[in-house]
Amino acid sequence: MQNKLSFHQSSVSLEIIGLPDYSNNENNDQISIISQWKLTIIDKPLIEGKIEHLWPIMNAFYIYSNLLIKNEIPLIESKLIDIKADNLHIHNIVLKSSKPNVKPLILKIGNSLLSDTINCFDQLNESPKVRIKKPDLHNNIPKKLRFGLNNKVKFFNFIIPPFIAICSLILFSSSFIYFNNPFENIEKKELINPE
Amino acid sequence: MRRSFVNNNIKPNEFYALIRITVEMSKYLYPYIREILKSKEDPEENSVIWDDFNKRFIELIKERFNIESMRVKKLLNQAENDEIIIKSLLTLSFCISNQGYQKLKNFLYDF
Repeated sequence: MQNKLSFHQSSVSLEIIGLPDYSNNENNDQISIISQWKLTIIDKPLIEGKIEHLWPIMNAFYIYSNLLIKNEIPLIESKLIDIKADNLHIHNIVLKSSKPNVKPLILKIGNSLLSDTINCFDQLNESPKVRIKKPDLHNNIPKKLRFGLNNKVKFFNFIIPPFIAICSLILFSSSFIYFNNPFENIEKKELINPE
Repeated sequence: MRRSFVNNNIKPNEFYALIRITVEMSKYLYPYIREILKSKEDPEENSVIWDDFNKRFIELIKERFNIESMRVKKLLNQAENDEIIIKSLLTLSFCISNQGYQKLKNFLYDF
């Protein structure tokens, strides 16, 4: 008997069907082995597939939503899915079937459905009942940002003490200029070479 | 940008607290945010919701922001502010999950 879990957000629902991993003593209501998933968007054709299709599709949606917000060109192209913006309000999704001779499915969704879909994926990611090794979905965050998020404060703590140390060294060593008398050196040279 | 004579720098704790409040408010107001976004999707549809929202947004900006600033003037220009408002609403609507606080923090650091 397979377990079914549903995640709903307004006009979108995501259904996950699978089994718990009994070898890990998991509860009966958990899912660790996903056999099928279905994404239902009201007034749009049903999207379903296997586990190997779910993560790339989720990742594409996450990357696209990030690009959309960050004023970059919102365009994602992959073997499974293409997403591009028609305009500020409408997004064009092309889902390519892995089976031969099957035409790609083209969907046009607005901002409201896009945010519903992202929220359904968030619910799946955060669900304690789905225990599965998910791919790193945070790849959509650029390296620059990841560095900034985790290490912004640490970076300043790290760089400020040596910076102050170097500045104080420069200030301290500049006082030694007074000990060096250039006129004395010139006089000495004149004594050696009286010409 | 704010209409204030005191230039107070926000402390990190206050900044994080504001993010938490914003995320909780977004969760609560998600149905409204969604409807505002939806009202703009179909140009033929009567976008009363969008017009009402935009009108109130401009009123609040005039009330609380320094309208002499160029950046604020851009926010007040109805021809130019669509993109800013939609992206702000989208950002809020993407951050209503339990980990929305972290997501919103990431988005803000990236601006």
